[in-house]
Amino acid sequence: MEYDLATVSGLFGHAFSMWWIMIPAIMVGLVAGAVPGFAAHNTIIILLPLTLALNVELALTFMVSLYCASHLGGGIPAILVNIPGTGGAAATTLDGYPMTKNGQAVKALALCFVASVLGGLISSIVTLFALPMLSKVGYYIHSVEMVVVMLFGLALIASIAAQDMLKGLIAGAFGLMLGAMGADHIYATPRGTFGFLALFDGVPLVPALIGLFAISEALVMLEETTLVKQGSQSRGRVTWRESAKEVFHAFTYWWQIVWTSILGLIIGALPGAGASIASFVAYQQSLFFSKTPEKFGTGHPQGVIAPESANNGVTTGTLVPLLAIGVPGGSTAAVMMIVLQFHGVPFGPRLFVEQPQLAYGVIAVMAVSYIMMIPFMFPMVRYMSRITVISTVYLAPFIVAFTLVGAFVPRGFIFDMGVAVAFGVIGYIARKTGYHVAAILIGVILGPLIERSFLLAMRISGNDPMVMFSSTIGNVLWVMLILTLALPPLMQRRRAWLERQTPKSHAGPDA
Amino acid sequence: MKNFVRNAGFTAIAAMALATYPSVPALAQDADYPDSNISITIPTGEGGGADRDARAITKVWAKYLERNSEFSYYPGAAGQVGYEFFMKSKADGTHLMFSNIGPEVIMLELQDVPITIGEDLVYIQKTSTEPMAIWVGANSKFETLQQLIEEAKERPVTISVSRLPHPASIGMLALGEATGAEFNLIPYGGGNPTAMAAITGEVDASALPLANPITLGPEARVLGIFADENPVPDQTGNAPTVNEAAGTDLPALTSSRAFAVQASVLEEYPERVELLKKTIRETLVDPDYVAAVAAAGVPVEFIDPGDQEAAMAEAAATAELATKYRDLLTGE
Repeated sequence: MEYDLATVSGLFGHAFSMWWIMIPAIMVGLVAGAVPGFAAHNTIIILLPLTLALNVELALTFMVSLYCASHLGGGIPAILVNIPGTGGAAATTLDGYPMTKNGQAVKALALCFVASVLGGLISSIVTLFALPMLSKVGYYIHSVEMVVVMLFGLALIASIAAQDMLKGLIAGAFGLMLGAMGADHIYATPRGTFGFLALFDGVPLVPALIGLFAISEALVMLEETTLVKQGSQSRGRVTWRESAKEVFHAFTYWWQIVWTSILGLIIGALPGAGASIASFVAYQQSLFFSKTPEKFGTGHPQGVIAPESANNGVTTGTLVPLLAIGVPGGSTAAVMMIVLQFHGVPFGPRLFVEQPQLAYGVIAVMAVSYIMMIPFMFPMVRYMSRITVISTVYLAPFIVAFTLVGAFVPRGFIFDMGVAVAFGVIGYIARKTGYHVAAILIGVILGPLIERSFLLAMRISGNDPMVMFSSTIGNVLWVMLILTLALPPLMQRRRAWLERQTPKSHAGPDA
Repeated sequence: MKNFVRNAGFTAIAAMALATYPSVPALAQDADYPDSNISITIPTGEGGGADRDARAITKVWAKYLERNSEFSYYPGAAGQVGYEFFMKSKADGTHLMFSNIGPEVIMLELQDVPITIGEDLVYIQKTSTEPMAIWVGANSKFETLQQLIEEAKERPVTISVSRLPHPASIGMLALGEATGAEFNLIPYGGGNPTAMAAITGEVDASALPLANPITLGPEARVLGIFADENPVPDQTGNAPTVNEAAGTDLPALTSSRAFAVQASVLEEYPERVELLKKTIRETLVDPDYVAAVAAAGVPVEFIDPGDQEAAMAEAAATAELATKYRDLLTGE
C-alpha cells in the first residue's frame, strides 16, 4: 500500500466516520479498565455475541477502541485507591498512589491520561508506517532474549529494595515463590497447589493484585479518616481551569512519553509479552535514566508517565503479530482473531493483500480512538479526583466489596475471592512490617513468565545453560542489564565522594 | 391367526405402554428441553482452534436446538482443569464439553486425573477429524521431510508442539524411533505460540493438527502428514504422507473434535442426549455450517459426523498409544 497523503487521510477520515461506534466502545472500555477484574480481555469476550453480529469492520473498530480505552482506564484506580485493575497498571501504583496521598491526585490523573493518550497515539502512528519492521521483531527476540528483557523488570525489585535491601529481596523472593505455584510448563506437573484445582493455572493474577493492593490498602485506610495525608493541598472541588492546566502541563513530559511508548510498542510486538512486562521495564528504565532516581516511589511524575505510556504502547504492539504474521501475540488479539475467522476474513499477510483497507484501517482506528479520548480527559481529571475526599469509613468497605466481585469475575470461581482475601492479609502484614507489596507483586507477575521462557530456552538447547549467552542481541541485553544494575550504586558512590571532596576543597584556602 | 395377530398387536402395544410408563414423566419433563442456553466447557484457551471450531458449529446449531451457547475456557494443566471443572457441572444435558479427543485423552491417561473415559465421561458425537502434520515456516531451509530427518540424524532437531501429551508429539517420537532421527520436542502450551515459534525460526519445525498450518497460508510449508493419504492436497502444496516421505509404516495419527457429556447424563436423560446428537448431525450437513467452516479457513473435508461409537473407539485407540509412549511423554 502506498503511503501518500490521500491514502493516509482516507484511512483516518474513514476511521473518524465510525465515531458513533467508537464513542460507546471508549466509554465501555474506560469503565471496564477502571473496574478491577474486567479489563479489555474479559469485556471483549463478554461482548463477543454483539461483535459477532456486527459486520467485521465495525466489530474490529468496537473491540480496538474498547481495548485502547481500557488501558487508559486501568490507571484510574491504581492512582486514586492503589488498586491496579490489571498487571499493566501495577507499576502505576508505585508513584501514582503516593501522589494521591500527597494531595496531587489531579496532577497524577492528568499525567496518566496524557501519557496514555499520547503514548497510544504515537505508537499507533509509528505502527502504521513501520509495521513491516515491527513484524520482524519477533524473528529476533526469542526465549533467551525474553528472559533478559523480563530480568529488566525483575531488576525493579532491587530498586525497591534499595531502602531496605534485606526486606526488599525477601519480598521479591516470596513473590517469585508464589509465582512458581501451578502446573509446570513442560510436563504439567502440579506444584504447590495444595490439591486446589483452581491453583493449577498458577496464582490467579487479578485476585492476587486485588488482595495485595486493594484489600490491604482498605485495611490501612481504616486507620485514617481520609485518603489524603493531613496538611496536604488536596481539595474536593477542582475547577475546569485547574484540570486543563494540569493536562497541558503533563505534555511537558513529551520526550519520556515518546520513548517509553515506543519501548512498550516493541515489547508488545513480541509474542507472549504484554503490558505487565512493558510497564515494569519502562518504569525501571525511567528510573535508571532519571536525574532524580531517589524521588521514584515517593510520588514522582515520571513514575506515572513511564508505565502508562508503555502499557498503551503495548496496545498496538499486541496486534502486530496478528496483522503481520497471522498469529495472535496475546489473549485479546486471539479473541479478535476469532471475530476475523468467524466472518471469513483472512489474517496475516493475506489480510494486507486482500483487504488492505481493513488491515491498515485497524491501526488508524487505534490512533483515532486515542484522539477521541482527549475530550474525556478533562472531565475525568476534574471529577474523578473527588473520590479522594470521601471518608475512608465509606470508601474502605466499598473497595473491599467491589474488588471482591472483581476477583470473582475473570474466572467465575468463588475460590478466587478467598485468594484475594488471603493476599489481602499478606499485603496488610507486609505493609505493617515494612515489606514492599510491589516487590511481592513483581515476583508473582514476572516469575511465571520468566520461568516459561527460561525452560523453553533450556529445552531448546538440550539443557545447556550457556544458551543464555548464545545470541548477539541477548548478549547486548545482558550488558545493558549489568550496566543498569551496576551503574546507579557506582554513580551514587561517586556523588557521595564528590560531596565529601567539595567541602574540603572549599575549606582548603580558608584553613 | 387373525386373532393372534390382533392379540399379539394388542399385547405388543400394552407391553410398549408398560415399558414406556416409567419414562413418561421424563418425556413430559423434556418437552421444553433445552430450557436454557447450552453451557459449553472448552479445556483450552480462548482464541484457539477449539474456540474457532466451537463457535462455527454453535452458530448454526442454534437453528436446530433453538438455544444459544455460552462458553467457558479452562486451559490449565493441559486441559485437566477444564475436565475436572466440567465433571462438577450440572449433569442434565445443558452442560457440554467441546473436546479435542487426541490430546485430551492422552492427558487423561498420563496425568493423575480422577476421570475415566466411558465410566465418567462419554464422547457422544464427533464434529471434525484432522490428521497431524509436520511443517516449517516459510523461511525455513527445510524443503522436504527427508531433509529434516537427515539433519535430525546429525543433531537433535527442535520441534515445537502444543503440549507433550498430544498425538502430534507421539507422531514425532514414533518417527524418530522408526528412522533413528532425534527430535527434541518443545511444548509451547497452545497452538498459537507453537506456530509462532516455527514461523520466527526459534525452532526447526512444528508438529500440529493440519488445520493450523493450512490457516497460516503462505507462512507455513507442510512437509508431511500422519495419515494414510493426504485429505487436502490442494491446500497443502500436495504434501506427502509421512510414510511416503520417510519410508516408514506409522499408524495414522488424527484428532477429532467431539461433544461430550457426563456418563450419568446418558443414563438419566437419554432423550436429551439423542436430541443433542440428532441436532448436531443436522448441523454438520447444513450448508451454512459448511460455509462457516470454510470461512474460518478450515478445510471442509475435515467435517466428520462420527457417532458415539466412532468417537469412543478413537478415544480407546488414543489411550493405547499414550500408554505405549508414556515414559517419553512424561519424562519419567
